[in-house]
Amino acid sequence: MSFREKSAWISLLSVSAIYGFYFASLTRSGWHAPSSGFGGLLGTIVALVIVQTVMTVAVAIYKPKDAKAPRDERDRLIDLRSTRCAYAGLATGVAFAIFFAGFNPPILLNANALLFILVISEALRNTSQIVQYRRGA
Amino acid sequence: MGRIRNEIRRLRFEHGEMTQQELAEKIAMTRQTVNAIEQGKYSPSLEAAFRIANVFGKPIEGVFHYSEDL
Repeated sequence: MSFREKSAWISLLSVSAIYGFYFASLTRSGWHAPSSGFGGLLGTIVALVIVQTVMTVAVAIYKPKDAKAPRDERDRLIDLRSTRCAYAGLATGVAFAIFFAGFNPPILLNANALLFILVISEALRNTSQIVQYRRGA
Repeated sequence: MGRIRNEIRRLRFEHGEMTQQELAEKIAMTRQTVNAIEQGKYSPSLEAAFRIANVFGKPIEGVFHYSEDL
């Protein structure tokens, strides 16, 4: 497994787990409750950065040769295809969010819904990367 | 749809059993990409195909073949 595939796994698992916890707590307290504001999100982002950094550094230390390997044309192609896939998800999600914004939902609900769409798009991107690395290209 | 086949496995063997990692380092690619090319799962760019052919001292058609699947 290449370093970039491992990075995609790290990103997918950490985003799913940490944002999964964030959205689960939102579901308990209500997506537009005051507790679902900036503080919880900031903590989530900090946790995500720490977990991803520690795991990526650990993988690089375990196999430094893989980590130093240059990004080649196949990596770039996989990145491009995955980003296109994520963009389709993002555009669809934003279109839904704009539609529902017409019903005047609370601002925190709308902001959290947009964040949810962003997280799903990132998970889509990572999943697409992993699938393509598994298939060969 | 056509398919690109290659002789990389045989050529590596004939060049002192060169490993995929060694070939990858010579053409500035990852070992996983060399493996994907060798198995026909990924078709390299023209530039990468030339770099691979150069490593083995062969013309490009000595390494890659295109066949139409009818």
